[in-house]
Amino acid sequence: MYLTDAEKRILDGESGEPQRLALRVLAKLGEACGAERMVEIVSAHLVASSYQIAGEAGIDIYSQLVQQGAKVKVRTTSDPGSIVFARWQEFRTPADYAARQVKIAELLDQMGVIPTWTCTPYTTFNVPRFGDHLGWSESSAVVFVNSVIGARTNRLAAYVDLCAALTGRVPCFGLHLPENRRGQVVFELASDLATDFADHYFPALGYLVGQIVGDQVPVIMGLRHATFDQLKAFGAASAASGSVALYHMVGITPEARTLEEACGGKPPGERIPVGKRELANVMEQMGAFTDGPVDVVGIGCPHASIDQMRRYASLLDGKRVHPNTQLWVCTNVVVEEMARKMGYVETIERAGAKLMVGTCHNDCPLGAWNFRRLVTDSGKFAYYTPTTVGTQCVFASTEACIQAAITGKAERS
Amino acid sequence: MSGRQHVLQGRGCAAGQFEGEVVVSRQSFGFWQGLDPQTGVVIDKRHDLCGAMIKGKAFAFPYGRGSTGTPGIFLEAVRNGCAPAAIINVKSEPMIIMCALLAEAFFKVAIPIVDGLDVPAQEALRTGDRVRIDGATGRIEILARA
Repeated sequence: MYLTDAEKRILDGESGEPQRLALRVLAKLGEACGAERMVEIVSAHLVASSYQIAGEAGIDIYSQLVQQGAKVKVRTTSDPGSIVFARWQEFRTPADYAARQVKIAELLDQMGVIPTWTCTPYTTFNVPRFGDHLGWSESSAVVFVNSVIGARTNRLAAYVDLCAALTGRVPCFGLHLPENRRGQVVFELASDLATDFADHYFPALGYLVGQIVGDQVPVIMGLRHATFDQLKAFGAASAASGSVALYHMVGITPEARTLEEACGGKPPGERIPVGKRELANVMEQMGAFTDGPVDVVGIGCPHASIDQMRRYASLLDGKRVHPNTQLWVCTNVVVEEMARKMGYVETIERAGAKLMVGTCHNDCPLGAWNFRRLVTDSGKFAYYTPTTVGTQCVFASTEACIQAAITGKAERS
Repeated sequence: MSGRQHVLQGRGCAAGQFEGEVVVSRQSFGFWQGLDPQTGVVIDKRHDLCGAMIKGKAFAFPYGRGSTGTPGIFLEAVRNGCAPAAIINVKSEPMIIMCALLAEAFFKVAIPIVDGLDVPAQEALRTGDRVRIDGATGRIEILARA
């Protein structure tokens, strides 16, 4: 692998031990993955921000780096933590657990990380541009910035993202190269589906696509329109059920004005048809409706935008969440503040729902609640919560989620 | 098993030396929610090795299933002395290679990784076989059969 003189000097330790160690990891990764050189990045985003992921090993690593004077070299943001920092007692987080998350926050702060505590940093303080090279982890954010913005990042692993942040570089392989961004598997929506594509079909379609393509690049044909939040929901689901890091939607995402452009030339002959039946099947797998009480409802995965907060507020206005059910809305502190100014927070909280700010059901220890049944509109939650929260999961539209919170039951309407 | 080779040759993905027992699985594996980092026991209920101890052993599984949080669990296991001491894959994805690079960088523990063996580990090796692995050259020597 070719290294510049400046990079060789970093490896000689000229820029200090943290940079030397970090660049060494990146250079070895590059060699193992066939990179020819490094590429400079505009920003980084760190998944091992939560104590649930970082654990004591993460605290050791961050402490060592901080002692050696480590500072991030590019704009770097934090993924959700494992607690609601301002109100962790409300979520029954053990005090010693909360203290370890606070320790991680202090260490990241000392390295100069922007404490966004969100999986949607691309909406606030870490907004990439088309063509930017990045060093990001957090699968749902990686797939969004690659696909919807046209920025370029591989799915970095925890701590490798920090190596990128400390050096401002990543090895140039995978999705940094145009030839690896070409669509490989084409999905074609049935025409009756395309004209009547409901909001919650986006995460369902993402889940289905992820299951089929694994880590290949899928292309979706036939959708006429998609909002920012629908693209976010689609990508997060595909990155959970599979390892999708980039998708193209013809006519919607920036590298896919046509099918030919999405595929970088001649499209593959085969197209996978998707109709209402395929979507219904996948929604059954994600979590079929079964009658019975609902313990907890999770919306805002990935973290809710201000548009989603407005929608939740209007659905909850004048309503009351069932006394045996928790409705938790996940978002970040920036959206929370704005939603408070707009009066949405007051409406949501008056209905008895809680704001899970800076974390989510997946990242936060919820053992003390003994939840058995969770209802969600998120494909990512549907994939992970049966293990992370240990609950049975029901997948439903946002409206049906809020209805389940009000009635305390999951029922087919 | 016919043609029992004593030496297998693959690609060295991460440097390091190992000599000891191998644990062989036919299923892909994800460390995130697959391994208990406090004990070194496989906890993924859907996995053929559920309940098996992989701590200190050479762990052969065909492919990784990698959440970006994978090194979180992996390094926690390394810190506790509960990680596998070598890894053999059909194809090693970047996520698993990153785990070994990080273990070496931050905990000074070398975990050799070899992939692309001339005869897949799932055919050439059985759980309990004793092997010697060189992660730099990709060479695996079979020392004793189980």
